[in-house]
Amino acid sequence: MRTFDHIDVYSIAEACTTLREYQGRARLNAGGSDLLTVLKGDFLADYPEAVINLKTISGMDYIREDGEYLRIGTLTRLTDLVSSPLLKEKYPVLSEAAYTVATPQIRNVATLGGNLCQDTRCWYYRYPRSIGGPVQCLRKGSGPCLAIKGDNRYHAIMGGKKCFAVCPSDMAVALAALDGKVIIVGPEGERRVEVTDFYHPTGNELAKDEVVREIEIPIKRTPTQQSFRKFTLRKPIDFAIVSSATVITVAQGICTDARIVLGAVAPAPVRAKAAEELLIGKPITEETDTAAAEKALVGAKPLSKNEYKIQIAKTLVKQAILGVTD
Amino acid sequence: MNKDISLVVNGEARYINVPADKTLLDMIREDLNLKGTKKGCDAGDCGACTVLLDAEPVNSCLVLAVEAANKEVTTIEGLAKGGELHPIQAAFIKHGAVQCGFCTPGMVLAAKAILDKNPNPSVEEIKEGIAGNFCRCTGYKKIVDAVLASGRNIQG
Repeated sequence: MRTFDHIDVYSIAEACTTLREYQGRARLNAGGSDLLTVLKGDFLADYPEAVINLKTISGMDYIREDGEYLRIGTLTRLTDLVSSPLLKEKYPVLSEAAYTVATPQIRNVATLGGNLCQDTRCWYYRYPRSIGGPVQCLRKGSGPCLAIKGDNRYHAIMGGKKCFAVCPSDMAVALAALDGKVIIVGPEGERRVEVTDFYHPTGNELAKDEVVREIEIPIKRTPTQQSFRKFTLRKPIDFAIVSSATVITVAQGICTDARIVLGAVAPAPVRAKAAEELLIGKPITEETDTAAAEKALVGAKPLSKNEYKIQIAKTLVKQAILGVTD
Repeated sequence: MNKDISLVVNGEARYINVPADKTLLDMIREDLNLKGTKKGCDAGDCGACTVLLDAEPVNSCLVLAVEAANKEVTTIEGLAKGGELHPIQAAFIKHGAVQCGFCTPGMVLAAKAILDKNPNPSVEEIKEGIAGNFCRCTGYKKIVDAVLASGRNIQG
């Protein structure tokens, strides 16, 4: 890593002020498991002048139900999401997703906010300086997306607009299935965005002086069947080739509500609304499940080397809906 | 930019002036001269650099040294007491769980973290606990055996 100023901050407001002082030339650090690999790779268009340590802010790691909402603090570690009895009981899609993110060592440092805000894994974007990088690309502000003509086996099969990198966050997929909102704090106050709207084609919703403070999830009044499925090459530590989160309400054998979300197929988690609509009002059977999985992938436009992701995605959706294990 | 930090390493208070861009791993190896903590991938993939930070296993290559301030670090050098190997270390030797040895310090610390929480883990719990530690020699079987056996040992 090259040198940088290191600033411990003690409140979210101080984090915003410090970000503003550095005018976009500072990076926030929570767990560090993504940021340190970014700094070591030294592939950014501009290397940060400062790293702002958020871990010195107290009281930002919590999981609690509060009237209408489940609230999770931005600095809550993945380890704590995995072991939370409340999540295991009522929001298992979150603890299952957190478990799949990475190894015990990484889960012990990585945070929910950090998982949502991590930088893309596109191998062109991340091409390290030590082996001849960085390479310019659309996401870095100049040139076309190199994945379009290059090796795009891990890139988007839908929703790509100029940049075809996929959203690497597993937690975003699970949160989208729970209608989660990201609470963002900036100098002008707070705002909320849907998890699916948090991601932009070449980055995320955060302005240069904004910080994620909390995730807010509406509490379900009726029991739901929740499931998270993720296909990876190395099981304990890998980014998803494809993932799927489902939250389904069934009453008297009939599906009355459904959230079906696909991960790692697009620049943001994708709600498969057509598949959800197909299931609602019907019993969950092999037939409706298969039809929903087909529906979820209608409109997918694979690149030259990633058509295989479509079949994986269909299979994961089927597994997730039926709650079967692989 | 450098910072003065204090932390406890293997039970001993240390005061170090460290660059902001130095990892905990490099500080342990270069400033504290504790070479038992290994640098494998330096990217959080292999687990060779595992240390216990406030009793929990982390990849020391993914922690900034300055952010370990006021914390407790246990490296492999902190396990043996008075010239006696820690029971986990003894079990690794007895069960042939060490071949080239490069993953061993991280693996032993991952094992310690498992056993500190649960002295009698199942094979599945051991596999989950060492999932972040690559071993390219043993095929893991003997490592799991060693952790199982040292669990029983520690329980008496």
